[in-house]
Amino acid sequence: MAAEANNAKPTFLSPPQEGKKPIVSLRGITKRFPGVIALDHIDLDIYPGTVHALLGENGAGKSTLVKVLYGIYTPDEGEIIINGRPTRLTSPADAINMGIVMVSQSPQIIDTLTVAENIILGLEKYNHFVPVTKVYKTIREESKRVGIKIDPGIEVWRLSYTQKQLVEILRAILLGAKVLLLDEAITYLPIEEKQRFYKFIRRFADEGGTVVLITHKIYEAMDVADKITVLRRGKVAGHLDRKEATIEKIRALMFGERSAEITYERLPTAQPEPKTILEVKDLWVMGDFGGYAVQGVSLEVKKGEVLGIAGVAGNGQKELIQAIMRLRPVMKGRIIYNGEDITRKTTYYLRVNGVGYIPDLPAKYGVSIENSIIENIAVLPVYSRGIINWDKIRELTLKLIKEFEIKTPSPDTPVKFLSGGNIMKVLVARELTVATNLLVAYNPTRALDEATAIKVRKIIKEKVLKNKVSAIIASEDLDEIFQISDRIAVMNSGKIVGVFPADKAKREEIEHLMVM
Amino acid sequence: MVIVRRVKPLPYWIIPIIALLAGIAISVIILYVLMGASPAAVLSAIVYGFTRPGVVAKTFVALTIVGIALLVSFKGSIWNIGGEGQITFGLMAATWVALFTALPYINPGLAQVSMILLAMVAGGIWALLAALPRAYLGLDEVPVTLIMNYIAYYIVDILVRGPWLGKHVYNYIRTDTIPAQVMFPQVPGTTMTWDGLFLLIILFVGVWYLLRNTSIGLRIRILGNNPNLLRSSGISVPLMIIVALTISGFIAGSVGALYLGGDVYRISYPVEAHTANYGYTGILVAWLSMLELIAVPIAAYIVSALYTAGIQYQILVGGHLGQLLTAGSAIVDVFIGSILLMYTILITISEYKIKIIVKR
Repeated sequence: MAAEANNAKPTFLSPPQEGKKPIVSLRGITKRFPGVIALDHIDLDIYPGTVHALLGENGAGKSTLVKVLYGIYTPDEGEIIINGRPTRLTSPADAINMGIVMVSQSPQIIDTLTVAENIILGLEKYNHFVPVTKVYKTIREESKRVGIKIDPGIEVWRLSYTQKQLVEILRAILLGAKVLLLDEAITYLPIEEKQRFYKFIRRFADEGGTVVLITHKIYEAMDVADKITVLRRGKVAGHLDRKEATIEKIRALMFGERSAEITYERLPTAQPEPKTILEVKDLWVMGDFGGYAVQGVSLEVKKGEVLGIAGVAGNGQKELIQAIMRLRPVMKGRIIYNGEDITRKTTYYLRVNGVGYIPDLPAKYGVSIENSIIENIAVLPVYSRGIINWDKIRELTLKLIKEFEIKTPSPDTPVKFLSGGNIMKVLVARELTVATNLLVAYNPTRALDEATAIKVRKIIKEKVLKNKVSAIIASEDLDEIFQISDRIAVMNSGKIVGVFPADKAKREEIEHLMVM
Repeated sequence: MVIVRRVKPLPYWIIPIIALLAGIAISVIILYVLMGASPAAVLSAIVYGFTRPGVVAKTFVALTIVGIALLVSFKGSIWNIGGEGQITFGLMAATWVALFTALPYINPGLAQVSMILLAMVAGGIWALLAALPRAYLGLDEVPVTLIMNYIAYYIVDILVRGPWLGKHVYNYIRTDTIPAQVMFPQVPGTTMTWDGLFLLIILFVGVWYLLRNTSIGLRIRILGNNPNLLRSSGISVPLMIIVALTISGFIAGSVGALYLGGDVYRISYPVEAHTANYGYTGILVAWLSMLELIAVPIAAYIVSALYTAGIQYQILVGGHLGQLLTAGSAIVDVFIGSILLMYTILITISEYKIKIIVKR
């Protein structure tokens, strides 16, 4: 059945023939999980010296495929051919021995050790008797060669996210990686840092290395890949050469009929009322490592408007959002919510008074994946004080599942069994329901594929328009800011450097202010 | 043949059952090799233990209650190793009511209830003292609760040697025996008391309700899985840690009253040598239950049956009384240690499965 469907579109599905032999080939790879087929007869050829992007929406099977390539999962059917030889990968150690090394979105390095110590940990050729100075020298030389500048003696906790990812890549190269698997490894990098990574990826491929870039962001693939393979619902939807790839083609492959819904048009502008819902006055907030991350920010959100906060990651948005939510202490300044000074109030006060909150990294901060959907909704203090009325919460959960089209076998399913997009929907659904007055969000759609992200934005904006809810949304994605905001504030180095009405704002001007 | 990580976990009851059978098998071998104990005698002692609910009852009640107590904190990933200290504090509080108030002479029924309630309050306070540094300073609760067990022993020792030393004890260092009217009445044909049985039922239903239907129960469960969600929901994480550990100590404390009123009737010095070690054995019960409340009584029955089997084995093979008490408890330790060891190994292995792949 699958094979027939595949044969229907021969142009996309025959991998381009090259003089070179593929370094990694997958033939008929199938992986089943209880109740779902995550991978359904995947065929894929990856050639040396290329950057090969694997694209797909949330739940398309990208992560499963990478885990198969890295030996974390063994396929139920099919074979992996490496350098022309059928190979069985049963652990990451096997994969590393074959020159396949993965870098994931969360750095797997130990914060309290130095860069050099972290790198040595994984390397067999440095045993206990190799002098540290020699290791430092190797690291310095190697990092210079590949174009990564890093001090091997620095402790990892001092590094930024980008630098940690670079350390991971450096380690992968020192491990002798011939094939680098980048599993959403650059998705969460600030935009201008991505450019550095692209350069590095290009260089690695030009020197004969192979990069498999796993992402749900089309532009990442378009920016750097030579070949693009699109997965959809566990199957290969198509193989494309970079030259023939266009955003429209990729979208059609990724989302099928849903690609028609993708649009970056601005959502309807709200007509705010004069009443101020949130006011921040000269706010000073500390960052994680000392120093003020927020330096005298003042802003205002009117009833029924969306204020978007644009900015490159690490310019104080996270700290500002956490301070507003009362999750981070305020050093100086005041926060006024609904006419009440909340500078010394608790998160609890906000949560029972109509404030919804969508934090960054939702699986970590916004839901408990071991608990069921219904429990994840019931945990909010507005729903459960004293004795829980499960009937009422079940009714609400079923309503939200239907309204937000959350794909789940039942409301009692643990959240960890849902796809990333559906986890996000659980969170957004819950928070929009409690946000009767104000929604505070940070990168609300970063983990989502395009079609789902746009849908979530529409849902948020509809709610704002319909119920006259206010929203303050910080995002590193400028498309998102433009699409959803009524006013845009630009944050740079802990300060608000400009506020614009969204319908009149110029993109170049905002981009300029962001990096100024 | 390859070993791969299991995607779908095994049903939770498989591991404890295999661990139990394997642990008993290993114990039989150990006892045979080291003591020359006939496997038939050991097995018949085990059969005896499992088929005498009346004899097992007292231990069963105590271990079930401790198991429930520890389950509450374990659900929140708060590792209460201090059951022993909380029980000892409960024992102290119950003794105070029985010996140093007029209540037993005014209203024996009320006195018995007060012994249990005050024991619970004392256990709760002892747990609270460990919970505060855990909640506000991040001090690991495992060593703190463990060390506090010994502090509790020694506090009671000081009392027994000093102000609480009995007037009718000859040269023994112990308290007086509690008045007969506050000795808990036994359920006929069993070793357990009515007080213990009622308490067990109330606590079981109460904790079931707490975990299932109250916001505190839900938050304790989420505390164990992802405290970040509590924080972003506006719920105080330190407060939930305190609540989980204090409830745990509160329940455990009641066992001290049962031990006094239904078993020993007085405190003998040194208390650490006269404890039944329910606080530690209860950890085994909680683990064997896989933190499922329904399975706690089952696990408690298994452990208390083995406990009885160890004593029974000594009776079967003979030996005088002193030897019987010490060797009997050593045999119990062999059983319990083997099972716990098997359990620990199996729980790790169970995450993997062996796949046989035929090469073409």
